[in-house]
Amino acid sequence: MTDSPILKISGLRAKVAEEDLEILKGVDLELRAGEIHAIMGPNASGKSTLAKIVAGHPGYEVTGGSIRYRDRDLLELEPDERSRAGVFMAFQYPVEIPGVSIANFLRTALQARLDEGEELDLFDFQDRLLERMDLLDMEPAFAERPVNEGFSGGEKKRNEILQMAVLEPMLALMDETDSGLDIDALQVVASGVNKLKSERPEMAVLLITHYQRLLNFIRPDVVHVMVDGQIARTGGPEVALELEAGGYATYREAEAAV
Amino acid sequence: MTITAEMMEGVTTELCREAAEHAASEGPDWLRARRLEAWDLYEATPMPTTKLETWRYTDLERKLDLDRLELADREAVPFDTVDYPEAVRTAMNEDRRGTGHVVEIDGAVVHVDLDPELAALGVVLMSLRRAVDTHGELLERHLATKAVPASDGKFQALNAALWSDGVFLYVPRGVRLEHPVRVTRWASAPGTAYFTRTLVLADRESQVSFVDEILSPNFESQTLHSSAVEMFALDGAQVQYVSLQRMGRGVFHLSQQRTLAHRDSTLDTLNVNLGASVARLDLNAQLLGPGANSDMMGLYFGDDDQHFDHSTSQDHIAPHAKSDLLYKGALDGASHAVFRGIIKVHPGAQRTDAYQTNRNLLLSGDAQAHSLPNLEIEADDVRCSHGATVGQLDEESLFYLMSRGLGLERAERLVVQGFLGEVLSRLPLGGVVEKVSRAIEEKLGHA
Ligand SMILES: Nc1ncnc2c1ncn2[C@@H]1O[C@H](COP(=O)(O)OP(=O)(O)O)[C@@H](O)[C@H]1O
Ligand SMILES: [Mg+2]
Repeated sequence: MTDSPILKISGLRAKVAEEDLEILKGVDLELRAGEIHAIMGPNASGKSTLAKIVAGHPGYEVTGGSIRYRDRDLLELEPDERSRAGVFMAFQYPVEIPGVSIANFLRTALQARLDEGEELDLFDFQDRLLERMDLLDMEPAFAERPVNEGFSGGEKKRNEILQMAVLEPMLALMDETDSGLDIDALQVVASGVNKLKSERPEMAVLLITHYQRLLNFIRPDVVHVMVDGQIARTGGPEVALELEAGGYATYREAEAAV
Repeated sequence: MTITAEMMEGVTTELCREAAEHAASEGPDWLRARRLEAWDLYEATPMPTTKLETWRYTDLERKLDLDRLELADREAVPFDTVDYPEAVRTAMNEDRRGTGHVVEIDGAVVHVDLDPELAALGVVLMSLRRAVDTHGELLERHLATKAVPASDGKFQALNAALWSDGVFLYVPRGVRLEHPVRVTRWASAPGTAYFTRTLVLADRESQVSFVDEILSPNFESQTLHSSAVEMFALDGAQVQYVSLQRMGRGVFHLSQQRTLAHRDSTLDTLNVNLGASVARLDLNAQLLGPGANSDMMGLYFGDDDQHFDHSTSQDHIAPHAKSDLLYKGALDGASHAVFRGIIKVHPGAQRTDAYQTNRNLLLSGDAQAHSLPNLEIEADDVRCSHGATVGQLDEESLFYLMSRGLGLERAERLVVQGFLGEVLSRLPLGGVVEKVSRAIEEKLGHA
């Protein structure tokens, strides 16, 4: 593992595109290869916005600061280029793509990673997909269903993990992958992430979560607390436990006092 | 006075009464009378204008110039397989698994083949022009009478007067065709008016599927292709009709279709419009007997300044019948689609199940779709619904796909494929799905 961080966010300020609504107000964050970080924080503090900006969502405009990914200026890249460079975001609200099967979707995503004129070997792909689904305890028939159409909350989240398993990112941003899941579904998703992580220990993971319970299953190295568009605190796993006990009230008061 | 063929030679190729008289100069009396009567109706019917609800969005004054068209020259046709245009050969090669094939070039059937075992069972597949002589009685009863008669409208009348050839298919009682009958039509002369017809008679308990592919090059000057399609499914018959229109730009394509579904029959249609500059479809499905069922599917994908106008009606005349319509289209460039559909439940047609859905996906800011679904219900115990949507490619879907590594174009293509694919997934015909998918993919590749 190299010394330079895989992701380095410095003084990031961002607003909603074509509106005067500032959401991120100077975010600093560093993530090294192999690390697992968690971002916790109250609703509407800007967690999803941060993840979407790293993934390249066109609905936000960066007004200050920088994001470097493996020593490149990430903000220069289009969303698809970021993906091909190894960035992956598991969506808080995955989108339905009617009529497009998961298998077709993933095949197209892998094809997009090849050079012009190179063709994905369909048999290799099929084998690989089945092997990935097996790893995550998924039924092969799942891949024939149209992406997220009519999926339960749990199915949507598992679909995100499957995509992550097939695309093998260097940096995985997981936005509330735990929300809306019962404890069984949560364990399935968490064990999926842990399996992928043990396959490729160099993968860096940024877990965004509202609750501490996910962190019982996926153990973070570092925990950040985000409040009103800024990182209010950074520490070890104990930060999550403090939050569990005391809630976000203290951070809110600190904000209000400024 | 009778005008003889000799007198006609070299006289005129314009769309005028002489042309109709020339067309009527051969064939049995009933046909001659029918053609001339149709011509009179054509002349007596005013050209539809945008003041008419059914032509509100297609301005014929701007989009069609009948005076500049010439009738197809039926002699200039290659009767030899070797001379088939490349596009026709490609289409035919994809159709190897057909039970029978017909090739129509420039308004005349030049090739027919049919599985000899089926011919022995009494299946008839032939040129409509020839069938006038060999199956006169069947034609007299069914050609331009109950399905697409001249009285239906100006263009129906014009076709009934001037049709040059077409396809006749008869499937006897209880005979079931395992693979589709495939028809490939090609029009090659710019500035020409083509009039062809299709007549499908499926006798009781028979089964047949019919795939009609219409091709042409691009034309500098406007070319008219008029097609009348008449389909009869007698009691318990199962019929599927697929039209795949991939003509070139410069074509004004008119397709006038009626399906008559008798007791316990199934009569499904799929109309795919990808080509031509203007394509107008008039489709009327009649549910004539209890237990009749019609699935009506449509697919269109426009770009540049293509204009597609679909006018459908579901006529529930008998009780206990079902019709289900789904038309979906994607529109790029400055293309324009119109869908006008009506479900009519006639008095006494109790226990009708009738559905109608039209969905449009706009891929560019200049594309337009008008969707006008309608219901007219004169029975009280029915289940009917209609719905229409016009939507845009949404940013969230594109971002989702791009965040998995798909470039913008690839992402758009996948969304369109998925959107249109819903229609194909309802189509049980093997081989056809691949053919249509490939045609869509080809078009997406160019878009
Ligand atoms: N596209 C947008 N348009 C308007 N407001 C937005 C948009 N995206 C985020 N916001 C607002 O910014 C704040 C932060 O949102 P978000 O990043 O989703 O928070 P979190 O994920 O921490 O709950 C919220 O108040 C939200 O309503
Ligand atoms: Mg969020």
